[in-house]
Amino acid sequence: MPRLTTRLAVASAAALALGVPSVAAAKTTITMSGSTSVAPLAAKLAKAYVKTHRGVAFKLLQGGSDVGISDVAHDRVTIGNSSRDPKPTDPPGLVFNKIARDAVCLITNNANPVGNLSSAQVQGIFSGSVRDWGAVPNGKGGTIDLVGRTAASGTYDAFLKIFMGSARLSTTMAQKASNGLVQQSVKSDPNGIGYVSLAFTAGVHTASYNGVPCTLRNAKSGQYGGVRNFFMVTRGAATGATKKWINWVQKDPTAQQIVATDWVPLA
Amino acid sequence: MRRMLSAGTWTDQRVERLLGALACTVLALIAAMVVFVFAKAWPSFAHNGLAWFGGGGNVDRQLAAIFDSPSNPQDYVYTLHAWPMLYATALLSGIAVICGLVFALLCAVFIVEFAPEPMRRVLEPAVRLLAAVPSVVYGLIGILVLVPLVGNHVVSESMKRSVAYVVQLDGTSLLVGAAVLTVMVTPIMIAIVVDALRAVPRGWTEGAAALGVNRWRATWTISVRAARPAIVAAAVLATARALGEAIMLAMVAGSVGFAPNPLDGLLFWFEPARPLAATIVDNAEGLSVVPFGQTIYAFAAVLLVSSLFLSLAGWAAKRPLKRYGLAAR
Repeated sequence: MPRLTTRLAVASAAALALGVPSVAAAKTTITMSGSTSVAPLAAKLAKAYVKTHRGVAFKLLQGGSDVGISDVAHDRVTIGNSSRDPKPTDPPGLVFNKIARDAVCLITNNANPVGNLSSAQVQGIFSGSVRDWGAVPNGKGGTIDLVGRTAASGTYDAFLKIFMGSARLSTTMAQKASNGLVQQSVKSDPNGIGYVSLAFTAGVHTASYNGVPCTLRNAKSGQYGGVRNFFMVTRGAATGATKKWINWVQKDPTAQQIVATDWVPLA
Repeated sequence: MRRMLSAGTWTDQRVERLLGALACTVLALIAAMVVFVFAKAWPSFAHNGLAWFGGGGNVDRQLAAIFDSPSNPQDYVYTLHAWPMLYATALLSGIAVICGLVFALLCAVFIVEFAPEPMRRVLEPAVRLLAAVPSVVYGLIGILVLVPLVGNHVVSESMKRSVAYVVQLDGTSLLVGAAVLTVMVTPIMIAIVVDALRAVPRGWTEGAAALGVNRWRATWTISVRAARPAIVAAAVLATARALGEAIMLAMVAGSVGFAPNPLDGLLFWFEPARPLAATIVDNAEGLSVVPFGQTIYAFAAVLLVSSLFLSLAGWAAKRPLKRYGLAAR
């Protein structure tokens, strides 16, 4: 029995040592909090970054852009992630470092190829005051089925801020947990309309917004209005390891490649 | 190595202690989990009191407001009236288990008493296989086939228009959710009831046959009666699965926190309903927002307590039945 215990102890000690190889090495930890829409991109970037930059570790928290901005203003994190532009009411002394852009597209079923939607029309449809496709130019008729995201989603947040203005979202909207599910619902429902990131527009009809088609090119050129910026916000200009990291995110080709998978790169 | 396996090392006493310790670990884990979930969920219950379980306002708007809470802990928003989700949970599991139970009972009687041998040999493994199909598979079939079918062909345009300003009938509905859930929970019930019917001593039904009772009557009055505790056990197990089903129901039944109204007649079946577990899955993205996470944990706490009560109710229902029949397995 005592021998068994010793063996177990030795084995577990060995496993611990193997599993956590570099506890002793001092690391700079960059903490980030904020936007849930930026978080997946930030996580992908950080994963690639630590492969080539051994001395840096990341800690990523989420909680909405406003949480990130307030956190960084109070020095609770190194970087606050934000998917909204700076506001005049933001605390002074913050630097918004733009890292990428993301287009939010309006999608309908292929059987219902509405041409263009103005912002007033989008607000009418998603606030529930327009309930029939007959009232929409080029609409094929029939009751409108609204498909959107859950309140916890960053795309929901962006949609409210960019497209809805002061209009209130209808409570009849079906809330899906992911871009892919919104896409699938609109794909199979001739009466559906939804909003998704640009990367999720295969197999559905993409409507123009205020006369501009939702394409990567229009998003890049800035003509398409449904584009939001992704920022990494710092308190004052970034320094040291943080500055190196943000520079890498903005300029390094590897980083740009990661951005280009689902988002609009800066370059 | 040989020393470790030899009889001298593993005396009964040692084995008993070791296995006892393992079993106690399970208890400790459950206790720790309950404490953890309740500690996390407490602020949500404390702020709302009993109103938490009531209705009022739009539950999705309330969730959105909680998610958008200001970052200052004093200003956290907690107001929530979870009734539509509690109702949806009870409604979906109730319908699925009741429909499933009837079907499972008849199916099990057929397999045990009436099915020809070659058919029985195919049916039984097929039922057991069905019981093991992961729920996402059912969800995928639901969302790719059943939801568009109901939304585009069963629900008529005039039905949609009649409630257009209250709720949208797009196919994700109580009907599809309950149907797929029934298909999901029935195989387990069939398997359990089959085992129970088979365990009924042959002499009992043979005795009935000797008195001139036909097979169907003997089965119904003797075998099924004797198997009642197992039938209750099957229903409890199925309800537990139905209560906890999240992914599938999130996909096919509910995308809106809406309470289907039985007074709507036929439309009732086409209205969406989102149970607690599906709400947790749909909103897991926002877990890191403190008050929102606490609300999600409150849903989890309610599910935990309801499964506890379910076990208790099953135990209480079986006790009087056991006097007449066989013990449940």
